[in-house]
Amino acid sequence: MKVEHFLEKNEVREITIFKKLVLNNGILSYIDMLDHLSISKASLENDLDSITSRVADFDTQIKISYDGQAIELEMSDEMSLQHIYRFYLSQSIKMEIINFLFKHHEFSITKLTQKLAISESSLFRKIKELNSYLKEFGLKIRNGQLQGEELQIRYFYFQFYYYIEDKSTLITKRSDTQIIQTVDSLEKFLQVTIVPENRERLTLWLIISKSRVSHKSKLYKQLRKQMQPYMKDPLYHRVHVMILRYYSRYSIEVDEEEAMIHFAFLLAFPILTEEDFHEYRLIRDRHAPIASLDTYIAETIIIHFKFRRPPYMLERDMYYHLTHIHTRLYFFKGDIEIYEYEEMLAKEKQIVGKNLVPFARTLLTTSTDKFLTTEVKDNSLIKMELLKYVSLLALISFKMTTVIQIGIDLKMDDLYKETLTELLKQKMRPISGIQIERYQPSKVYDLVLTNEVSIEENQYDEARVYILSEIMSSFDMMTIYKIIQELNT
Amino acid sequence: MRVVIIGASFAGVAAALEVRKKYADADVILLEKQATLGYIPNGLHLYWDNKIDDLDAARFITTDQLKKETITYYLGATVQKINTTQKIITYDYMEQEELMAYDKLIIAAGSRQLSEKIDGSAQESVLKYKRYGEAQAALSKVKESQHITIIGGGQVGVEAAHLLTKQQKQVTLIESMDYVLFKYLDEDMIQPIEQKMIKNGIDLRLGQTVSSIEMESDQKVTVHLGDDSVTSDAVIMSVNVRPHLPFLDDYVTLHTDQTIAVDRYLRTSVEDVFAVGDCIQLSGPGEDMVYIPLINNAVRTGIVAAANLVKPTVTFNGSSRTIGTTVFGYYVASTGLTEEESLFTNRTVKTARQEVRLNSLNPSDTVTLKYVYDASSRVLLGAQMISTSNILEKINTLALAIQSKLTLEELKQADYFFHPLYTQMVSTTNLVSWMDERADEDES
Repeated sequence: MKVEHFLEKNEVREITIFKKLVLNNGILSYIDMLDHLSISKASLENDLDSITSRVADFDTQIKISYDGQAIELEMSDEMSLQHIYRFYLSQSIKMEIINFLFKHHEFSITKLTQKLAISESSLFRKIKELNSYLKEFGLKIRNGQLQGEELQIRYFYFQFYYYIEDKSTLITKRSDTQIIQTVDSLEKFLQVTIVPENRERLTLWLIISKSRVSHKSKLYKQLRKQMQPYMKDPLYHRVHVMILRYYSRYSIEVDEEEAMIHFAFLLAFPILTEEDFHEYRLIRDRHAPIASLDTYIAETIIIHFKFRRPPYMLERDMYYHLTHIHTRLYFFKGDIEIYEYEEMLAKEKQIVGKNLVPFARTLLTTSTDKFLTTEVKDNSLIKMELLKYVSLLALISFKMTTVIQIGIDLKMDDLYKETLTELLKQKMRPISGIQIERYQPSKVYDLVLTNEVSIEENQYDEARVYILSEIMSSFDMMTIYKIIQELNT
Repeated sequence: MRVVIIGASFAGVAAALEVRKKYADADVILLEKQATLGYIPNGLHLYWDNKIDDLDAARFITTDQLKKETITYYLGATVQKINTTQKIITYDYMEQEELMAYDKLIIAAGSRQLSEKIDGSAQESVLKYKRYGEAQAALSKVKESQHITIIGGGQVGVEAAHLLTKQQKQVTLIESMDYVLFKYLDEDMIQPIEQKMIKNGIDLRLGQTVSSIEMESDQKVTVHLGDDSVTSDAVIMSVNVRPHLPFLDDYVTLHTDQTIAVDRYLRTSVEDVFAVGDCIQLSGPGEDMVYIPLINNAVRTGIVAAANLVKPTVTFNGSSRTIGTTVFGYYVASTGLTEEESLFTNRTVKTARQEVRLNSLNPSDTVTLKYVYDASSRVLLGAQMISTSNILEKINTLALAIQSKLTLEELKQADYFFHPLYTQMVSTTNLVSWMDERADEDES
């Protein structure tokens, strides 16, 4: 599912026009724009007229002018493409249908046609379109309800409100003291710390859960099967106890599966900090599907990086991200493509080099095979998880590149010493993979640059020493660069 | 003024009596769904315990008493709907649909013991006995059963397990939490009782949730829990109770958990309509709004609603969830916050546990006490007791201390009588740390 699925074709085109203009410094010729959109000039004029009438609301913040030759866009400093996107989405009928469903759990056709002021046939058409996008989530709108596995319903609403609809509105409106207190209680029960950005995620999730919990006839068939290996999981147990105790305080008969739903969410999204996750990783069952896949993939990655053991904290970080990826693949279906997949992949390819992307694909195939997902390739979840693998690999390869520590130790009068050290630092700044500073005796360096041979033997310990022949000379610079390359391999 | 009260259990009757006392001229009418009046919920336990000879003796009020107070009552009257705009109640009585207008309405419809999640729990062979009719049916079914499965390890479930074991029945008790009586006691306090239960041959299934109940062809009943199942002669449902209010109109606001939203004066969202007892949430031990369906709360809310009928005068000051019971040779009591429940509050609590002698004789029986108190202010927030002697009354002292927000130090200053037969040097409910009465304090 993509954000643009909530918009009509002409609306998507209008946003594309904005985007194209932004990318071209706000001005573009008709010819280029027609070429980009592959539409007729008449349609372009139509779109531009439509844009003009829409942005009238924005007064002076957005101005678009066109004269048959060129199109020009002016935006105030506070405006961004994001605002424009949001503005279009706020008028989307499909968005309103989902919002209505979330708020009321069900609708009657008559009630909804009145509320949205559209005809029955166009409502049916919109629902049909929505259903085609909801399919990858295993959900459908039928008989005025969103139907499917409960976990999937909450997951969909979560992604919808987090990435498409304005999440802050929902959070402000629904985050009452009860929700805030629940987040605090969760911290205490699980003995974890929920940092602010994770707190926002969790709050949204709890708002959605609160609205769903007393809904009757929920479906858990798939979830119960998936949870089989986790019934004795220590985190699940703690969540289970908390849920039972929590709902025993209200007149709500809670399903056992309520705890399972929260367990899946806690592991699939960054809610726990890396540190708290690490504590859990130490006690979780290593043979359970997600943990064993984490290990398998982590080892595959280590082998890929030629058996160089990543630093301890990097390895922990790797497991942290892998568990999120694998939990998503294990429990969830479908996703919302928040980034343009192809664009993002192309960008990542530029950064990480060509060979990491095919490797990420191999990892993904391994994972999906292990979990026996019979997903179609076009599924957004698969695409998004591939991007995450690529990002993770990029992160590892950046961190694995050793940073060479260089100390400058010039022996001369203090004033010259300081000035020349600064000049030298400036000159070397463009070289990547180094950290350079004035030599400090207490620190360990890979390379020390000096201008005199030290009288003291082993003054610089293990560090390689280069004696500058003429400070700032191009000969010195070339040699230093060579040494850095040598040290790097 | 005509005051109509829906429901004539503890909350409704308390409200009716209080209205009568305050407004001598008021027309007070009770509409009760059950055919008989004043049955004590779970009065069956008194019968099983041989405290009464006849189930019919489990009554807290009689029709004569109501008549004497000139309170009108309709038994077997089922309210179908209320119209809060026109102030009219529609109800079925003697197979006729009747209408009744009101000036003030108090909803005291109580709660029922029913699971919507457990498949097959609604069938008749699955026993619930909160009400008189149900209790009669349960009584005969249990009599002819040898192996009985109890679903729910709360106060009702554990009491039932105790009383049935005494009758030489084989009992399986299923509780979805890790230990029984979890709402009232912390896990460290429950140990002696659980050990005794196991010793008495109770098949204790903890941390297990019932998914469905199935009737077998040979009159037996099978309870399914996960991959496991238990087949027995009868099943008793002792799960949490919940209100059942299908007659409300859309103007009465409900909470997510389907209880009626009321303010501190027990007024609902509709003018002149009040709700009490098991139909509402109360301010609980953690000072947040929770559902505590206890008779002591029902009575107190009934009285408060009556006081506020004409103008808001008295606020309801909440519940400490005080309970006391005797099971498996132990007297157990609890009030206020438990340590485990404190995790749902903003407070940092500390706890202290100690075993205290009950009198100055040697040997003397002892009581194990657990105190839960605010870590910084040292205000008492909760207390739990367990003893083989009857110490139940003592919990009320601590309940009052909690309600009065006393600190542990203030509690030590409380003035109690001394008599060597009944007390020792210091009072039982003072947290002392003398001699061998060491208090294990720990931070949580």
